[in-house]
Amino acid sequence: MDQQSPAMSDSPYGDVLEIGEEELAQRKAFLQFGDADVAALTGINDVARRYAGTVIEDFYAHLLAFEDTRAFFADPQVLQHVKNMQKEYFLRLTQGNYDLAYTQNRLKVGTIHERLGLPIKSYLGMYNFYLRNVAAKLIEAYDKQPAQAWSSFLSLMKLTFLDMGLAIDTYVYARERTVREQQEAIQDLPTPVLPFREGLLIVPIIGMIDAQRARQLTQQLLSSIRANRAKVVIIDITGVQTVDTRVANHMVQTVEAARLMGATVIIAGVSPEIAQTMVTLGIDLGRIATVGDLQNGVEMAEQLSGYKVTRTENPPPHSS
Amino acid sequence: MRAPILKQGKILIATVQGSLTDADLVQLREELANDVRRYRSSGVIIDVTLLDVMDSFAARTLRGINAMVRLLGATSIIVGIQPDVAFAMVQLGLTLEGSPTALDLQDGLLLLQRIQGTAAHG
Repeated sequence: MDQQSPAMSDSPYGDVLEIGEEELAQRKAFLQFGDADVAALTGINDVARRYAGTVIEDFYAHLLAFEDTRAFFADPQVLQHVKNMQKEYFLRLTQGNYDLAYTQNRLKVGTIHERLGLPIKSYLGMYNFYLRNVAAKLIEAYDKQPAQAWSSFLSLMKLTFLDMGLAIDTYVYARERTVREQQEAIQDLPTPVLPFREGLLIVPIIGMIDAQRARQLTQQLLSSIRANRAKVVIIDITGVQTVDTRVANHMVQTVEAARLMGATVIIAGVSPEIAQTMVTLGIDLGRIATVGDLQNGVEMAEQLSGYKVTRTENPPPHSS
Repeated sequence: MRAPILKQGKILIATVQGSLTDADLVQLREELANDVRRYRSSGVIIDVTLLDVMDSFAARTLRGINAMVRLLGATSIIVGIQPDVAFAMVQLGLTLEGSPTALDLQDGLLLLQRIQGTAAHG
């Protein structure tokens, strides 16, 4: 919770989603948020200031009534601090200038909540509570002019939905970034290409293969065929758990491409699970040489390239 | 730009240039057919090292050359398909079914020797 010190929340939170002028204009247009709404919102600034204290108190009373959200405000000092922040946020809704700086601030607020691990359901629930609470206050303040209360409320709702959209975007962005980082981590897993005899290569594949990694593997494999003048390549997939249709087809294509370059590919270490998947998916590996394990693969490769390995009668004694 | 055909003993070597048009390919096929007959060649090597794009017409023509050379009693081998070209080809389903392939000219000559060696002895 000490992340929420004022110094931190004022500074940009590393890489935060950016919303441009054009995007903001589009969002406003879609919500039909115009100058009349800005005027309506600035018009209720006095009311907002009058009720801010009560609204915030009600708001936190509501938050503290639930186990999920209470956990975030265990420390009374923290609670006081976020209350002040919340009040600032609340008053900002009726201060006009809903520009890029405004969206940037909203995105930052969203990012802070995302980092804290506040679930989206609670985030949206809080907005809902705000709207209902403020609606009641508006009716109270404008009890003689219900039409005005209603129209200012509608303007406020548009702005709140703009904020909600921004907040959810920060959550989506954070998850996308996590996915991206994981993908990069997977791509960085090295796939060594090991020459083990002249013209023979072994490529052990470990872990998960997705379409992207499969593509990268293909490129690496085809260029190493050229670089090593390879005649036979053994792809060992003992360490691969699952293969989907796309990856399997990709593998078939790689084998064909290697053949176009004059090399034979042997696939070694097909697990029973993968064999079953291949059959179930109806992938035809008929024209591809597959063998049970790496040993068979090496033997086949040696045979294909004319090597004959024999054990000598009297192996030399180990020097160790 | 037409592809030059070099004669080396009983082998013809055609080097396909990067900027080969469809008409050039057809011309290459005709010239190869005539030359195999004229020089009584036993093997043809088509070197496509310089080719950076292989479209379906080129692939079909190469297969055609292969089948045609075989009909004339010789063997043809395609050499020098680049990694990127190879992968692009299989993605388009152009796998040059039935045509022997080799990494480069050197390997192609060795492969030709092997194919013809087994044909002569067996």
